[in-house]
Amino acid sequence: MASLQFRNVEKNFGSVKVIHGIGFDIADGEFTVLVGPSGCGKSTLLRMLAGLEEISGGTISIDGLVVNDVESKDRDIAMVFQSYALYPHMTVADNMGFSLKLRKADPKLTADRIAQAAKILNLVPYLERFPRELSGGQRQRVAMGRAIVRDPKVFLFDEPLSNLDAKLRVAMRAEIKALHQRLKTTTVYVTHDQVEAMTMADKIVVMQDGRIEQIGTPLELYDRPANLFVAQFIGSPAMNVASGTLHRNADAAWVEAEGGIRWPLPAGAAGQDGQAVVYGVRPGDLSLGGGARAVPGEVIVVEPTGAETELLVQVGAAQIVVVMHGRTDVQPGQKIALAVALESVHLFDPAGGATMRA
Amino acid sequence: MKLKWKAVATEAKLLLIGIPLLIWTLIPIYHLFLFAISGRDSATSGRLWPKEPTLQNFALVFGEKHFYLEHFWLQLWNSLLIAVSVGVLTLFVATTAAFSISRLKVKGGRTVMNLALFTYFIPAAFLAVPMYKTMGNYGLLNSQWALILAMVTIASPYCIWVLKQASDKLPWELDEAARIDGASPLQLFRLVYLPLMTPSLVAVGTYALLLAWNEYLYAFLLLSNDRSVTLAVALGNFLAADDSPWELLMATGLIYALPPAAIYYAFKRYMVGGLTAGAVKS
Repeated sequence: MASLQFRNVEKNFGSVKVIHGIGFDIADGEFTVLVGPSGCGKSTLLRMLAGLEEISGGTISIDGLVVNDVESKDRDIAMVFQSYALYPHMTVADNMGFSLKLRKADPKLTADRIAQAAKILNLVPYLERFPRELSGGQRQRVAMGRAIVRDPKVFLFDEPLSNLDAKLRVAMRAEIKALHQRLKTTTVYVTHDQVEAMTMADKIVVMQDGRIEQIGTPLELYDRPANLFVAQFIGSPAMNVASGTLHRNADAAWVEAEGGIRWPLPAGAAGQDGQAVVYGVRPGDLSLGGGARAVPGEVIVVEPTGAETELLVQVGAAQIVVVMHGRTDVQPGQKIALAVALESVHLFDPAGGATMRA
Repeated sequence: MKLKWKAVATEAKLLLIGIPLLIWTLIPIYHLFLFAISGRDSATSGRLWPKEPTLQNFALVFGEKHFYLEHFWLQLWNSLLIAVSVGVLTLFVATTAAFSISRLKVKGGRTVMNLALFTYFIPAAFLAVPMYKTMGNYGLLNSQWALILAMVTIASPYCIWVLKQASDKLPWELDEAARIDGASPLQLFRLVYLPLMTPSLVAVGTYALLLAWNEYLYAFLLLSNDRSVTLAVALGNFLAADDSPWELLMATGLIYALPPAAIYYAFKRYMVGGLTAGAVKS
């Protein structure tokens, strides 16, 4: 159990700077997810925490102790790799007990710990098998078992589910979360999948190009994204956006987009009349309906998934996605009117993409 | 049906290449065998099978009952001792070098490896005299160490290169996982690297061993005492006289050729990899 502090952390690969002065804290027992597109520096940051990459600038502390110059093995961390990185010549039990063996721990203690971890992870029948005799999900569990057995201060996960098929990924996601709830070990988890981030995290750190875009709980990020990038990155399907000009008169406010489409705004929306803005609305905040302020569109594609129906709709020059709960008899080619949930509309500054708040 | 004819044609073409190649390879060996089981007078008779095949030659060899065979057992032992020493030493040098270059990424490691490989641009025969001189400087002439060290020198660059290539294929995450698990470089080497490299190690060790076993030039040059030379050199000495005992030379040669064949056969399965299956998802 430990808290973590990142202070102005930088990383250079030669003359290329990949992490630009990152700082944030992770509380004891927290499940933090670093998320962002490929190349945003999230894995590099994790590897710096693990001691696998040198820290070019700033400090990383574990429990208040700066670990910049502390070797990986002395940081008391355990890491689960995307490729599992199991020792192929060792049995499952030996894989899990390797770190304790290196520390010359009491064999009885080692055996106890292995048995305990195997029980938690349902690996008891496989202890004498070799990694090559296991399925992907089982290998992933062994990798987790190897981490658990050490009882480290911090668990690090580097895209641990990327190599699993979709169904197994969902199952393992729940397993990892349940494991954290049970062990309460501080966890840092790296993924490019925002669904994983949303479903697992206590706290999400959204990164792009080596910088932090926003830190917050999953719902904070979803409801109050700090900028256009976070707004579009978090949430699936992604938020619909349209560029336009803000207009307001005595009665109402709206954004006029290309093709004369008027996207309605609540009366108290931020911004001046005539200002260029980016209008954002989540697919779930649109619904079929009429009214004076409804937005006209034409259905292009209907994608029923059972519980929900996704519509791809042409609105003016833009194509937007609408998610409807339940089913619909809307057909492709049909003209529809879309009602906007005004309280859930987002406005962004086109220069820099920062969220505009009233 | 047409497809079948095509398959037959392909097969025939392969046989057409394969059979001559097989004969080409086997004729010298058959010749060796033929001489070895022929009597002294009938050895060069030109028959495909001797009139009176005999194992007499082998009895003479094993009993050291000829001037040239006085030290047969000792020389065979020398060959074995030197070959095994070269194999073990080369393996040690090449494994540690490949580990440092490939896994520890020691600075300048690649340059050292390439420089070592560069020595192969110069034919070994050209290096024989400098090597002789060097061993003289070390005061090792006529010591079997001279030959052992020379052969290790010759075998190492290739072995380092082969092992380095094989090491590069090991997943890097294994090293990182081991480091996080608390392994020192030496523990990483012993507990993770060596077990995973076993197939390559066997292949490379066998190569170095056989290279030393079959070496003639350096053995001839660096060893001169009848009691310290290898059997390969002793075989060469058969030809010193005008009336060489060919049948004994061939019998000894046949015996000398057996251990390499046995080694190849024994370690055949190691030459194929597959041990790393299951380490990482690929």
